[in-house]
Amino acid sequence: MIGPLATGLIVFALVIALVSLLTTALNKSMGTVLLVALGVLEIGLLVQAGFVVAALVGGEGPADTATLIGYTAGTVVIPPVAAFWGVGERSRWGPAVIAVAGFAIPGMVGRMLQIWQGMG
Amino acid sequence: MTGRAEQGRTGQGRPVDGGHTTGAGPGRVLVAVYGIFALAAGARAAVQISRQFGEAPLAYTLSAFAAAVYLLLAVALGRGMRRLALVACGIELAGVLIVGTLSLVDPEAFPKATVWSGFGSGYVFIPLVLPVLGLYWLSRRR
Repeated sequence: MIGPLATGLIVFALVIALVSLLTTALNKSMGTVLLVALGVLEIGLLVQAGFVVAALVGGEGPADTATLIGYTAGTVVIPPVAAFWGVGERSRWGPAVIAVAGFAIPGMVGRMLQIWQGMG
Repeated sequence: MTGRAEQGRTGQGRPVDGGHTTGAGPGRVLVAVYGIFALAAGARAAVQISRQFGEAPLAYTLSAFAAAVYLLLAVALGRGMRRLALVACGIELAGVLIVGTLSLVDPEAFPKATVWSGFGSGYVFIPLVLPVLGLYWLSRRR
């Protein structure tokens, strides 16, 4: 895992969550901007997953492999599912769904970092 | 109460037509949260049970049970199965209160954390708030 990438993903996901909350507060439905942002976040998460898998295959990485794989898979799955579920709701509650995902991702990436550093 | 007025304006106060009402509007967000908790609790339980079930069988079984309840709720709310959602919410509330209390009174019984340990303190108390929110939501969408 790369520290800066993980940190960037955490910050970016939080920004998405806050913008989503703002959109909900302003009573607007999902826009293209949020979807594109989710897409970019997903690409970043996939890159991170690639690094994790590469490290594990190469024999590096923490002792708690199973949990790390679980979190890695979770982070990759959540943004597309959230996008699908949020787009289906054409009201202010669509972006609120994205906000849920936006808050979940930082928590999971944070846990991945802890496990990686052997603190898990 | 402004929230309610705004909802009317965006046309969310549409008449209840059976089916998918519990999974629309704010319910959509509840389904998303329950989905994430089903994933989190389920993955956690799977890892715990597969690797060291003997260490804390009760806690790990409860983790899996909690995951099942969350999954059931996500599906029931999303599909508009009101009665099932109501029952699952009740089980969830009872679970978090009982396990939360037990984990404080008798920490020995719960050497490893579950989602419901300490009233969900490991998950910023969201497990404690969720069933209350769910019951409130179901009571509004009658």
